[in-house]
Amino acid sequence: MEVKINKNMRSVSIVGIGATPFFNGVENETYRGLSNGELFGHAALDAMKDAGIQPKDVQFFFHGSANPYVLNHCITPNIQVADWCGMRGKGSISHSEACCTGYIALEEAVFAVASGAYDVVLTGAADQATSMPDGNTPAHRRVPMTSEVLFPDLDSIFDAAYGRYLGGGPGMNHDDWINYYAHEYNFSKEFIDDVLAHQAYHFRRAATLCPRAIRRKPYEEIAKEAGYDDVWEYMKSPHNPKMTQYLRTSSDSCVADGAGACIVVPTEIAHKFTDKPVKVLGIGASVLDAIVPHLEKKATAEAARQVYELTGLTADDMDILYVNDFIGSSAFLAAEEVGYLPKGEGWKYVLDGSIAYDGDKPINTNGGRTSYGHAMAASGMADVFEAVTQMRGEAGERQVKKLPKHVLLRGFGGGQNVRCIILESDF
Amino acid sequence: MVSQKIKTEEFWNPEHVVEKFWNGLKEGVIYAKKCSNCGAVEFPPHLACNTCGYPETEWIQLTGKGKLKSFVFTGVLNARLELEDRGLKYVCGEVELDEGPSLNAVILGINKKKGREIEDKLPVRVRPVFYDMGEYTTLFFELDE
Repeated sequence: MEVKINKNMRSVSIVGIGATPFFNGVENETYRGLSNGELFGHAALDAMKDAGIQPKDVQFFFHGSANPYVLNHCITPNIQVADWCGMRGKGSISHSEACCTGYIALEEAVFAVASGAYDVVLTGAADQATSMPDGNTPAHRRVPMTSEVLFPDLDSIFDAAYGRYLGGGPGMNHDDWINYYAHEYNFSKEFIDDVLAHQAYHFRRAATLCPRAIRRKPYEEIAKEAGYDDVWEYMKSPHNPKMTQYLRTSSDSCVADGAGACIVVPTEIAHKFTDKPVKVLGIGASVLDAIVPHLEKKATAEAARQVYELTGLTADDMDILYVNDFIGSSAFLAAEEVGYLPKGEGWKYVLDGSIAYDGDKPINTNGGRTSYGHAMAASGMADVFEAVTQMRGEAGERQVKKLPKHVLLRGFGGGQNVRCIILESDF
Repeated sequence: MVSQKIKTEEFWNPEHVVEKFWNGLKEGVIYAKKCSNCGAVEFPPHLACNTCGYPETEWIQLTGKGKLKSFVFTGVLNARLELEDRGLKYVCGEVELDEGPSLNAVILGINKKKGREIEDKLPVRVRPVFYDMGEYTTLFFELDE
Protein backbone atom coordinates (compact mmCIF):
# COMPACT_ATOMS: atom_id res chain seq x y z
CA MET A 1 0.00 0.00 0.00
CA GLU A 2 1.58 3.26 -1.15
CA VAL A 3 1.55 6.41 0.93
CA LYS A 4 1.64 9.99 -0.30
CA ILE A 5 3.48 12.30 2.06
CA ASN A 6 2.85 16.02 2.44
CA LYS A 7 5.23 18.94 2.70
CA ASN A 8 6.14 19.95 6.24
CA MET A 9 4.29 22.91 7.80
CA ARG A 10 7.57 24.81 7.62
CA SER A 11 10.93 24.01 6.08
CA VAL A 12 13.71 22.82 8.39
CA SER A 13 17.50 23.14 8.01
CA ILE A 14 20.59 21.65 9.60
CA VAL A 15 22.83 24.40 10.95
CA GLY A 16 25.25 22.51 13.17
CA ILE A 17 26.90 19.08 13.17
CA GLY A 18 29.10 17.22 15.63
CA ALA A 19 30.56 13.73 15.82
CA THR A 20 33.06 11.76 17.84
CA PRO A 21 35.38 9.41 15.98
CA PHE A 22 34.20 5.81 15.70
CA PHE A 23 36.45 3.61 17.82
CA ASN A 24 36.81 0.38 19.72
CA GLY A 25 36.39 1.37 23.35
CA VAL A 26 37.66 -2.00 24.54
CA GLU A 27 40.98 -1.93 22.69
CA ASN A 28 41.64 1.82 22.38
CA GLU A 29 43.11 3.16 25.62
CA THR A 30 42.43 6.79 24.67
CA TYR A 31 38.69 6.14 24.69
CA ARG A 32 38.33 3.25 27.13
CA GLY A 33 36.13 4.16 30.08
CA LEU A 34 34.02 6.84 28.39
CA SER A 35 30.30 6.70 29.22
CA ASN A 36 27.33 7.08 26.88
CA GLY A 37 26.54 10.48 28.42
CA GLU A 38 30.06 11.73 27.74
CA LEU A 39 29.97 10.55 24.12
CA PHE A 40 26.58 12.13 23.52
CA GLY A 41 27.67 15.27 25.35
CA HIS A 42 30.81 15.72 23.22
CA ALA A 43 28.91 15.26 19.95
CA ALA A 44 26.07 17.53 21.13
CA LEU A 45 28.37 20.33 22.31
CA ASP A 46 30.35 20.09 19.04
CA ALA A 47 27.11 20.46 17.06
CA MET A 48 26.10 23.48 19.14
CA LYS A 49 29.53 25.04 18.69
CA ASP A 50 29.26 24.46 14.95
CA ALA A 51 25.91 26.28 14.95
CA GLY A 52 27.33 29.11 17.04
CA ILE A 53 25.01 28.44 19.96
CA GLN A 54 25.20 27.19 23.53
CA PRO A 55 23.10 24.75 25.54
CA LYS A 56 21.00 27.64 26.88
CA ASP A 57 19.78 28.29 23.30
CA VAL A 58 18.52 24.73 22.66
CA GLN A 59 14.84 24.14 23.45
CA PHE A 60 14.41 20.37 23.12
CA PHE A 61 16.51 17.33 22.31
CA PHE A 62 16.26 13.76 21.04
CA HIS A 63 18.57 10.94 22.13
CA GLY A 64 18.80 7.87 19.93
CA SER A 65 20.36 4.54 20.85
CA ALA A 66 19.97 1.18 19.16
CA ASN A 67 19.52 -0.96 22.22
CA PRO A 68 19.83 1.06 25.44
CA TYR A 69 18.99 -1.82 27.74
CA VAL A 70 21.60 -4.33 26.60
CA LEU A 71 24.32 -1.84 25.61
CA ASN A 72 23.81 0.63 28.42
CA HIS A 73 21.54 -0.91 31.05
CA CYS A 74 19.00 1.89 30.93
CA ILE A 75 15.56 2.44 29.45
CA THR A 76 15.27 6.25 29.33
CA PRO A 77 18.72 7.39 28.23
CA ASN A 78 17.53 10.91 27.34
CA ILE A 79 17.18 11.65 31.04
CA GLN A 80 20.60 10.20 31.79
CA VAL A 81 22.45 12.18 29.09
CA ALA A 82 20.62 15.54 29.53
CA ASP A 83 23.02 16.81 32.19
CA TRP A 84 25.99 16.00 29.91
CA CYS A 85 25.07 18.70 27.40
CA GLY A 86 23.64 21.40 29.63
CA MET A 87 20.03 20.37 28.94
CA ARG A 88 18.85 19.65 32.50
CA GLY A 89 15.15 20.28 32.96
CA LYS A 90 14.32 20.76 29.30
CA GLY A 91 12.06 18.48 27.29
CA SER A 92 13.57 15.46 25.58
CA ILE A 93 12.76 12.01 24.19
CA SER A 94 14.76 8.84 23.78
CA HIS A 95 14.04 6.64 20.79
CA SER A 96 15.39 3.38 19.51
CA GLU A 97 15.10 1.94 16.00
CA ALA A 98 18.21 -0.23 16.00
CA CYS A 99 20.57 0.60 13.11
CA CYS A 100 18.09 3.08 11.58
CA THR A 101 18.04 5.19 14.76
CA GLY A 102 20.42 7.87 13.50
CA TYR A 103 18.30 8.66 10.44
CA ILE A 104 15.06 8.67 12.43
CA ALA A 105 16.84 10.99 14.89
CA LEU A 106 16.92 13.57 12.10
CA GLU A 107 13.30 12.86 11.11
CA GLU A 108 12.06 13.34 14.69
CA ALA A 109 13.89 16.64 15.09
CA VAL A 110 12.64 17.88 11.73
CA PHE A 111 9.04 17.12 12.76
CA ALA A 112 9.53 18.96 16.07
CA VAL A 113 10.65 22.12 14.26
CA ALA A 114 8.36 21.75 11.23
CA SER A 115 5.32 21.65 13.50
CA GLY A 116 6.19 25.05 14.91
CA ALA A 117 6.57 23.74 18.46
CA TYR A 118 10.32 24.46 18.67
CA ASP A 119 12.83 26.63 16.84
CA VAL A 120 16.15 25.17 18.01
CA VAL A 121 16.37 21.41 18.46
CA LEU A 122 19.31 19.13 19.18
CA THR A 123 19.19 15.56 17.95
CA GLY A 124 21.88 12.98 18.43
CA ALA A 125 22.63 9.31 18.77
CA ALA A 126 25.25 7.46 20.78
CA ASP A 127 26.13 3.80 21.17
CA GLN A 128 28.99 1.73 22.48
CA ALA A 129 28.60 -1.52 20.61
CA THR A 130 31.99 -3.06 21.40
CA SER A 131 31.21 -3.44 25.10
CA MET A 132 28.51 -3.69 27.72
CA PRO A 133 28.05 -2.57 31.33
CA ASP A 134 30.14 -4.39 33.92
CA GLY A 135 27.22 -5.60 35.99
CA ASN A 136 25.63 -3.07 38.28
CA THR A 137 28.54 -0.59 38.48
CA PRO A 138 29.16 3.04 37.33
CA ALA A 139 29.12 3.75 33.60
CA HIS A 140 32.89 4.06 33.08
CA ARG A 141 33.24 0.37 33.93
CA ARG A 142 32.50 -1.67 30.83
CA VAL A 143 33.48 -5.16 29.71
CA PRO A 144 33.84 -6.54 26.16
CA MET A 145 30.59 -7.53 24.45
CA THR A 146 30.43 -11.32 24.12
CA SER A 147 28.73 -13.39 21.45
CA GLU A 148 26.89 -15.24 24.25
CA VAL A 149 25.12 -11.97 25.10
CA LEU A 150 24.97 -10.40 21.63
CA PHE A 151 23.86 -13.27 19.39
CA PRO A 152 20.71 -14.34 21.24
CA ASP A 153 19.84 -10.67 21.75
CA LEU A 154 20.08 -9.87 18.01
CA ASP A 155 16.96 -11.98 17.52
CA SER A 156 15.00 -9.40 19.50
CA ILE A 157 14.70 -7.24 16.37
CA PHE A 158 12.56 -9.96 14.75
CA ASP A 159 8.82 -10.41 15.31
CA ALA A 160 8.29 -12.35 18.54
CA ALA A 161 4.76 -13.44 17.58
CA TYR A 162 5.75 -15.32 14.44
CA GLY A 163 8.84 -14.54 12.34
CA ARG A 164 11.49 -15.16 14.98
CA TYR A 165 10.19 -18.69 15.55
CA LEU A 166 9.28 -19.53 11.97
CA GLY A 167 12.95 -18.72 11.52
CA GLY A 168 13.40 -17.89 7.84
CA GLY A 169 13.59 -14.10 8.03
CA PRO A 170 16.40 -13.94 10.60
CA GLY A 171 18.50 -16.32 8.49
CA MET A 172 17.96 -14.36 5.26
CA ASN A 173 18.61 -10.88 6.60
CA HIS A 174 22.10 -10.57 5.11
CA ASP A 175 21.99 -12.44 1.85
CA ASP A 176 18.44 -12.28 0.54
CA TRP A 177 18.87 -9.21 -1.66
CA ILE A 178 22.26 -10.02 -3.14
CA ASN A 179 21.07 -13.58 -3.80
CA TYR A 180 17.93 -12.27 -5.50
CA TYR A 181 20.07 -9.90 -7.57
CA ALA A 182 22.53 -12.62 -8.60
CA HIS A 183 19.65 -14.79 -9.84
CA GLU A 184 17.76 -11.92 -11.48
CA TYR A 185 20.77 -11.01 -13.63
CA ASN A 186 22.34 -14.46 -13.77
CA PHE A 187 25.62 -13.51 -12.10
CA SER A 188 27.92 -16.19 -10.73
CA LYS A 189 28.88 -16.25 -7.06
CA GLU A 190 32.49 -15.59 -8.08
CA PHE A 191 31.46 -12.47 -9.96
CA ILE A 192 29.43 -11.14 -7.03
CA ASP A 193 32.42 -11.88 -4.78
CA ASP A 194 34.59 -9.77 -7.07
CA VAL A 195 32.12 -6.86 -7.09
CA LEU A 196 31.82 -6.86 -3.31
CA ALA A 197 35.63 -6.98 -2.95
CA HIS A 198 35.97 -3.90 -5.15
CA GLN A 199 33.26 -2.09 -3.26
CA ALA A 200 34.94 -2.77 0.10
CA TYR A 201 38.27 -1.70 -1.41
CA HIS A 202 36.96 1.66 -2.66
CA PHE A 203 35.13 2.39 0.58
CA ARG A 204 38.37 1.75 2.45
CA ARG A 205 40.14 4.26 0.19
CA ALA A 206 37.70 6.90 1.48
CA ALA A 207 38.04 5.82 5.11
CA THR A 208 41.82 6.03 4.82
CA LEU A 209 41.31 9.79 4.30
CA CYS A 210 38.67 10.10 7.02
CA PRO A 211 40.17 10.77 10.46
CA ARG A 212 36.99 9.72 12.28
CA ALA A 213 36.86 6.26 10.63
CA ILE A 214 37.73 3.18 12.68
CA ARG A 215 39.45 1.21 9.87
CA ARG A 216 41.87 3.44 7.98
CA LYS A 217 44.57 1.02 6.83
CA PRO A 218 44.51 0.62 3.02
CA TYR A 219 43.80 -2.91 1.77
CA GLU A 220 47.12 -2.92 -0.15
CA GLU A 221 48.95 -2.58 3.15
CA ILE A 222 46.82 -5.22 4.88
CA ALA A 223 47.40 -7.59 1.96
CA LYS A 224 51.19 -7.06 2.11
CA GLU A 225 51.25 -7.73 5.84
CA ALA A 226 49.44 -11.01 5.19
CA GLY A 227 51.97 -11.94 2.50
CA TYR A 228 50.01 -11.01 -0.64
CA ASP A 229 51.39 -8.72 -3.36
CA ASP A 230 48.03 -8.78 -5.14
CA VAL A 231 45.31 -7.09 -3.10
CA TRP A 232 42.55 -8.92 -5.04
CA GLU A 233 44.10 -12.26 -4.20
CA TYR A 234 44.06 -11.23 -0.55
CA MET A 235 40.40 -10.19 -0.74
CA LYS A 236 39.43 -13.73 -1.77
CA SER A 237 41.81 -15.47 0.63
CA PRO A 238 41.09 -17.20 3.94
CA HIS A 239 42.36 -14.00 5.59
CA ASN A 240 39.09 -12.44 4.46
CA PRO A 241 36.71 -15.34 5.17
CA LYS A 242 33.07 -15.67 4.18
CA MET A 243 30.78 -14.79 7.08
CA THR A 244 27.61 -15.60 5.14
CA GLN A 245 27.02 -17.28 1.80
CA TYR A 246 27.99 -14.06 -0.01
CA LEU A 247 29.60 -11.65 2.45
CA ARG A 248 33.23 -11.79 3.48
CA THR A 249 34.58 -10.00 6.54
CA SER A 250 35.37 -7.02 4.30
CA SER A 251 31.66 -6.65 3.51
CA ASP A 252 30.59 -6.98 7.13
CA SER A 253 30.21 -3.93 9.36
CA CYS A 254 32.97 -3.14 11.84
CA VAL A 255 31.39 -2.80 15.28
CA ALA A 256 32.34 0.48 16.95
CA ASP A 257 31.54 3.05 19.64
CA GLY A 258 30.69 6.64 18.85
CA ALA A 259 28.19 9.48 18.77
CA GLY A 260 26.89 12.07 16.34
CA ALA A 261 24.56 15.04 16.66
CA CYS A 262 23.09 17.95 14.76
CA ILE A 263 21.13 21.14 15.35
CA VAL A 264 18.03 21.88 13.29
CA VAL A 265 16.12 25.16 13.01
CA PRO A 266 13.46 26.67 10.71
CA THR A 267 14.97 27.36 7.26
CA GLU A 268 13.78 30.98 7.47
CA ILE A 269 16.24 31.72 10.30
CA ALA A 270 18.98 29.22 9.33
CA HIS A 271 21.32 31.88 7.92
CA LYS A 272 21.50 33.54 11.34
CA PHE A 273 23.38 30.44 12.56
CA THR A 274 25.63 29.53 9.63
CA ASP A 275 26.63 30.64 6.16
CA LYS A 276 26.11 27.11 4.93
CA PRO A 277 22.77 25.74 6.08
CA VAL A 278 21.47 22.47 4.61
CA LYS A 279 17.74 22.01 4.05
CA VAL A 280 15.99 18.73 4.83
CA LEU A 281 13.76 18.59 1.75
CA GLY A 282 11.84 15.47 2.63
CA ILE A 283 11.89 12.04 4.26
CA GLY A 284 10.27 8.92 2.83
CA ALA A 285 9.54 6.02 5.17
CA SER A 286 8.67 2.35 4.90
CA VAL A 287 8.91 -0.46 7.43
CA LEU A 288 8.74 -4.22 6.82
CA ASP A 289 9.37 -7.12 9.18
CA ALA A 290 11.88 -9.78 8.24
CA ILE A 291 9.19 -12.34 7.42
CA VAL A 292 8.39 -10.40 4.22
CA PRO A 293 10.41 -11.69 1.24
CA HIS A 294 12.85 -9.16 -0.25
CA LEU A 295 11.90 -6.60 2.38
CA GLU A 296 14.99 -4.39 2.00
CA LYS A 297 14.43 -4.00 -1.74
CA LYS A 298 10.70 -3.31 -1.31
CA ALA A 299 11.00 -0.84 1.59
CA THR A 300 13.86 1.01 -0.10
CA ALA A 301 11.83 1.38 -3.29
CA GLU A 302 8.78 2.68 -1.42
CA ALA A 303 10.67 5.17 0.76
CA ALA A 304 12.54 6.51 -2.28
CA ARG A 305 9.33 6.77 -4.30
CA GLN A 306 7.72 8.85 -1.54
CA VAL A 307 10.56 11.34 -1.22
CA TYR A 308 11.00 11.76 -5.00
CA GLU A 309 7.26 12.38 -5.37
CA LEU A 310 7.31 14.90 -2.52
CA THR A 311 10.34 16.85 -3.73
CA GLY A 312 9.85 16.54 -7.47
CA LEU A 313 13.50 15.52 -7.70
CA THR A 314 14.87 12.38 -9.32
CA ALA A 315 17.91 10.21 -8.72
CA ASP A 316 19.68 12.19 -11.47
CA ASP A 317 19.59 15.23 -9.17
CA MET A 318 21.53 13.41 -6.41
CA ASP A 319 25.24 14.17 -6.11
CA ILE A 320 26.12 11.68 -3.37
CA LEU A 321 24.32 8.66 -1.95
CA TYR A 322 24.72 7.39 1.60
CA VAL A 323 23.52 3.86 2.33
CA ASN A 324 23.50 2.19 5.70
CA ASP A 325 25.54 -0.80 4.58
CA PHE A 326 26.05 -2.90 7.68
CA ILE A 327 25.13 -5.56 5.15
CA GLY A 328 27.90 -4.64 2.70
CA SER A 329 26.03 -5.55 -0.48
CA SER A 330 23.27 -3.07 0.42
CA ALA A 331 25.40 -0.17 -0.83
CA PHE A 332 25.32 -0.78 -4.57
CA LEU A 333 22.01 -2.67 -4.46
CA ALA A 334 20.25 0.27 -2.79
CA ALA A 335 22.00 2.59 -5.25
CA GLU A 336 20.31 0.69 -8.08
CA GLU A 337 16.95 0.54 -6.30
CA VAL A 338 16.78 4.30 -5.72
CA GLY A 339 17.87 4.91 -9.33
CA TYR A 340 21.29 6.39 -8.46
CA LEU A 341 22.91 3.65 -10.54
CA PRO A 342 21.19 1.93 -13.50
CA LYS A 343 19.26 -1.26 -12.67
CA GLY A 344 21.37 -4.36 -13.18
CA GLU A 345 24.47 -2.30 -13.96
CA GLY A 346 25.52 -1.00 -10.56
CA TRP A 347 28.34 -3.51 -10.52
CA LYS A 348 30.03 -1.69 -13.42
CA TYR A 349 30.28 1.47 -11.33
CA VAL A 350 31.68 -0.56 -8.46
CA LEU A 351 34.32 -2.34 -10.54
CA ASP A 352 35.57 0.83 -12.25
CA GLY A 353 35.60 2.81 -8.99
CA SER A 354 32.89 5.33 -9.99
CA ILE A 355 31.27 4.80 -6.58
CA ALA A 356 34.42 5.94 -4.78
CA TYR A 357 34.72 9.40 -3.22
CA ASP A 358 36.79 10.48 -6.25
CA GLY A 359 34.45 8.87 -8.80
CA ASP A 360 31.48 10.29 -10.70
CA LYS A 361 28.84 8.48 -8.65
CA PRO A 362 30.15 8.71 -5.09
CA ILE A 363 28.62 6.50 -2.40
CA ASN A 364 29.47 6.46 1.33
CA THR A 365 32.31 8.98 1.17
CA ASN A 366 33.24 8.29 4.79
CA GLY A 367 33.86 4.61 4.04
CA GLY A 368 30.48 3.25 5.15
CA ARG A 369 29.91 0.67 7.86
CA THR A 370 32.58 -1.71 6.63
CA SER A 371 35.36 0.88 7.05
CA TYR A 372 34.03 3.95 8.86
CA GLY A 373 32.58 1.54 11.41
CA HIS A 374 29.16 0.81 12.81
CA ALA A 375 28.27 2.35 16.16
CA MET A 376 24.67 1.23 15.69
CA ALA A 377 22.43 4.25 16.36
CA ALA A 378 25.26 6.72 15.82
CA SER A 379 25.95 5.45 12.29
CA GLY A 380 23.04 7.30 10.69
CA MET A 381 24.04 10.52 12.40
CA ALA A 382 27.63 9.96 11.19
CA ASP A 383 26.20 9.81 7.66
CA VAL A 384 24.38 13.11 8.22
CA PHE A 385 27.65 14.57 9.55
CA GLU A 386 29.56 13.41 6.47
CA ALA A 387 26.82 14.51 4.05
CA VAL A 388 26.74 18.04 5.47
CA THR A 389 30.56 18.17 5.57
CA GLN A 390 30.69 17.27 1.86
CA MET A 391 27.92 19.75 0.98
CA ARG A 392 29.85 22.51 2.72
CA GLY A 393 32.98 21.52 0.79
CA GLU A 394 34.85 20.79 4.00
CA ALA A 395 35.80 17.12 3.49
CA GLY A 396 39.45 17.81 2.73
CA GLU A 397 41.27 15.09 0.82
CA ARG A 398 38.12 13.01 0.35
CA GLN A 399 36.02 15.93 -0.95
CA VAL A 400 33.98 14.77 -3.91
CA LYS A 401 34.72 16.26 -7.34
CA LYS A 402 31.52 18.27 -7.70
CA LEU A 403 30.26 20.29 -4.74
CA PRO A 404 27.01 18.46 -3.92
CA LYS A 405 23.71 20.30 -4.21
CA HIS A 406 21.56 17.30 -3.29
CA VAL A 407 22.33 14.24 -1.21
CA LEU A 408 20.19 11.15 -0.63
CA LEU A 409 20.54 9.07 2.53
CA ARG A 410 19.05 5.56 2.73
CA GLY A 411 18.68 4.57 6.39
CA PHE A 412 18.04 0.95 7.28
CA GLY A 413 17.85 -1.12 10.41
CA GLY A 414 15.97 -2.92 13.10
CA GLY A 415 14.35 -5.75 11.27
CA GLN A 416 13.76 -3.35 9.24
CA ASN A 417 13.00 0.38 9.27
CA VAL A 418 13.85 2.28 6.10
CA ARG A 419 14.12 6.03 5.55
CA CYS A 420 15.07 7.95 2.41
CA ILE A 421 16.15 11.51 3.21
CA ILE A 422 16.97 14.23 0.68
CA LEU A 423 19.18 17.14 1.77
CA GLU A 424 19.77 20.32 -0.25
CA SER A 425 22.49 22.91 0.25
CA ASP A 426 20.98 26.35 0.80
CA PHE A 427 23.84 28.70 0.01
CA MET B 1 -34.62 0.39 39.36
CA VAL B 2 -31.81 -2.03 39.58
CA SER B 3 -28.59 -0.77 37.97
CA GLN B 4 -27.08 -3.22 35.52
CA LYS B 5 -23.36 -3.19 35.01
CA ILE B 6 -21.97 -4.42 31.72
CA LYS B 7 -19.33 -7.07 32.21
CA THR B 8 -16.00 -6.41 30.55
CA GLU B 9 -16.36 -9.66 28.61
CA GLU B 10 -19.54 -8.34 26.98
CA PHE B 11 -17.78 -5.53 25.16
CA TRP B 12 -14.27 -7.01 24.85
CA ASN B 13 -13.95 -10.72 24.28
CA PRO B 14 -10.90 -10.98 22.05
CA GLU B 15 -9.84 -14.07 20.21
CA HIS B 16 -6.28 -15.15 20.87
CA VAL B 17 -4.77 -15.12 17.41
CA VAL B 18 -1.13 -15.92 18.16
CA GLU B 19 -2.04 -18.64 20.66
CA LYS B 20 -4.49 -20.25 18.22
CA PHE B 21 -1.85 -20.25 15.46
CA TRP B 22 0.81 -22.02 17.54
CA ASN B 23 -1.70 -24.44 19.11
CA GLY B 24 -2.83 -25.24 15.58
CA LEU B 25 0.68 -26.18 14.49
CA LYS B 26 0.86 -28.58 17.43
CA GLU B 27 -2.20 -30.32 15.96
CA GLY B 28 -0.87 -30.20 12.41
CA VAL B 29 -3.25 -27.43 11.36
CA ILE B 30 -2.10 -24.21 9.66
CA TYR B 31 -4.38 -21.31 10.53
CA ALA B 32 -4.51 -18.13 8.49
CA LYS B 33 -6.96 -15.28 8.01
CA LYS B 34 -8.80 -14.15 4.93
CA CYS B 35 -9.72 -10.53 4.31
CA SER B 36 -13.49 -9.97 4.42
CA ASN B 37 -13.10 -7.24 1.82
CA CYS B 38 -10.46 -8.16 -0.77
CA GLY B 39 -10.15 -11.88 -0.03
CA ALA B 40 -6.37 -11.79 0.34
CA VAL B 41 -4.93 -14.46 2.62
CA GLU B 42 -3.19 -13.00 5.68
CA PHE B 43 -0.44 -15.34 6.79
CA PRO B 44 0.62 -15.64 9.49
CA PRO B 45 -2.75 -14.44 10.82
CA HIS B 46 -3.24 -10.94 12.27
CA LEU B 47 -6.25 -8.76 13.05
CA ALA B 48 -6.55 -6.51 9.97
CA CYS B 49 -5.73 -7.06 6.30
CA ASN B 50 -2.25 -6.00 5.25
CA THR B 51 -3.07 -6.18 1.55
CA CYS B 52 -5.94 -3.66 1.29
CA GLY B 53 -6.03 -2.19 4.80
CA TYR B 54 -9.53 -3.47 5.69
CA PRO B 55 -10.03 -3.98 9.46
CA GLU B 56 -11.79 -7.38 9.42
CA THR B 57 -10.56 -10.88 8.57
CA GLU B 58 -11.96 -14.42 8.96
CA TRP B 59 -10.25 -17.66 9.95
CA ILE B 60 -9.28 -20.18 7.29
CA GLN B 61 -6.90 -23.14 7.12
CA LEU B 62 -4.04 -23.57 4.67
CA THR B 63 -2.56 -26.72 3.15
CA GLY B 64 1.00 -25.55 3.79
CA LYS B 65 1.92 -26.59 0.28
CA GLY B 66 3.62 -24.17 -2.02
CA LYS B 67 6.78 -23.42 -3.90
CA LEU B 68 10.27 -22.40 -2.91
CA LYS B 69 11.25 -19.43 -5.11
CA SER B 70 14.69 -18.49 -3.76
CA PHE B 71 16.94 -19.58 -0.90
CA VAL B 72 20.24 -18.91 0.84
CA PHE B 73 22.53 -20.95 3.05
CA THR B 74 23.51 -19.35 6.32
CA GLY B 75 27.09 -18.73 7.51
CA VAL B 76 28.75 -17.98 10.83
CA LEU B 77 27.18 -14.52 10.94
CA ASN B 78 23.54 -15.53 10.41
CA ALA B 79 23.26 -19.23 11.32
CA ARG B 80 20.05 -20.24 13.08
CA LEU B 81 21.64 -21.59 16.23
CA GLU B 82 18.51 -23.43 17.37
CA LEU B 83 18.70 -25.50 14.15
CA GLU B 84 22.49 -25.86 14.13
CA ASP B 85 22.34 -27.23 17.67
CA ARG B 86 19.99 -29.96 16.43
CA GLY B 87 22.36 -30.82 13.60
CA LEU B 88 19.76 -29.97 10.95
CA LYS B 89 20.59 -29.26 7.30
CA TYR B 90 18.48 -26.31 6.18
CA VAL B 91 18.23 -23.25 4.01
CA CYS B 92 16.23 -20.05 4.46
CA GLY B 93 14.10 -19.03 1.52
CA GLU B 94 11.01 -17.41 0.06
CA VAL B 95 8.05 -19.78 0.08
CA GLU B 96 4.91 -18.84 -1.83
CA LEU B 97 1.97 -20.84 -0.49
CA ASP B 98 -0.63 -22.20 -2.91
CA GLU B 99 -3.28 -19.96 -1.33
CA GLY B 100 -1.25 -16.84 -2.23
CA PRO B 101 0.82 -15.46 0.65
CA SER B 102 4.63 -15.50 0.63
CA LEU B 103 6.96 -15.65 3.60
CA ASN B 104 10.59 -16.14 4.48
CA ALA B 105 10.79 -19.66 5.86
CA VAL B 106 13.12 -22.49 6.86
CA ILE B 107 13.35 -25.44 4.48
CA LEU B 108 14.79 -28.60 6.00
CA GLY B 109 16.81 -31.37 4.41
CA ILE B 110 18.82 -29.29 1.92
CA ASN B 111 22.58 -29.73 2.08
CA LYS B 112 25.10 -28.04 -0.23
CA LYS B 113 24.80 -30.82 -2.84
CA LYS B 114 21.00 -30.75 -2.86
CA GLY B 115 21.13 -26.95 -2.95
CA ARG B 116 23.21 -27.01 -6.12
CA GLU B 117 20.80 -29.51 -7.67
CA ILE B 118 17.67 -27.44 -7.15
CA GLU B 119 19.19 -23.99 -7.66
CA ASP B 120 18.59 -23.97 -11.40
CA LYS B 121 15.19 -25.65 -11.13
CA LEU B 122 13.54 -22.98 -8.98
CA PRO B 123 10.72 -22.66 -8.16
CA VAL B 124 10.36 -26.16 -6.64
CA ARG B 125 7.43 -27.62 -4.70
CA VAL B 126 7.55 -27.74 -0.90
CA ARG B 127 5.30 -29.25 1.76
CA PRO B 128 4.91 -28.41 5.47
CA VAL B 129 6.88 -29.93 8.32
CA PHE B 130 5.41 -29.55 11.80
CA TYR B 131 8.61 -29.49 13.79
CA ASP B 132 8.69 -30.04 17.55
CA MET B 133 11.03 -27.48 19.12
CA GLY B 134 10.28 -28.70 22.64
CA GLU B 135 8.23 -25.87 24.14
CA TYR B 136 6.37 -25.19 20.90
CA THR B 137 5.82 -26.72 17.46
CA THR B 138 6.85 -24.57 14.52
CA LEU B 139 6.26 -24.63 10.79
CA PHE B 140 9.16 -25.49 8.53
CA PHE B 141 9.05 -26.86 5.00
CA GLU B 142 10.72 -29.64 3.01
CA LEU B 143 11.01 -30.45 -0.67
CA ASP B 144 7.89 -32.14 -2.06
CA GLU B 145 9.61 -34.48 -4.50
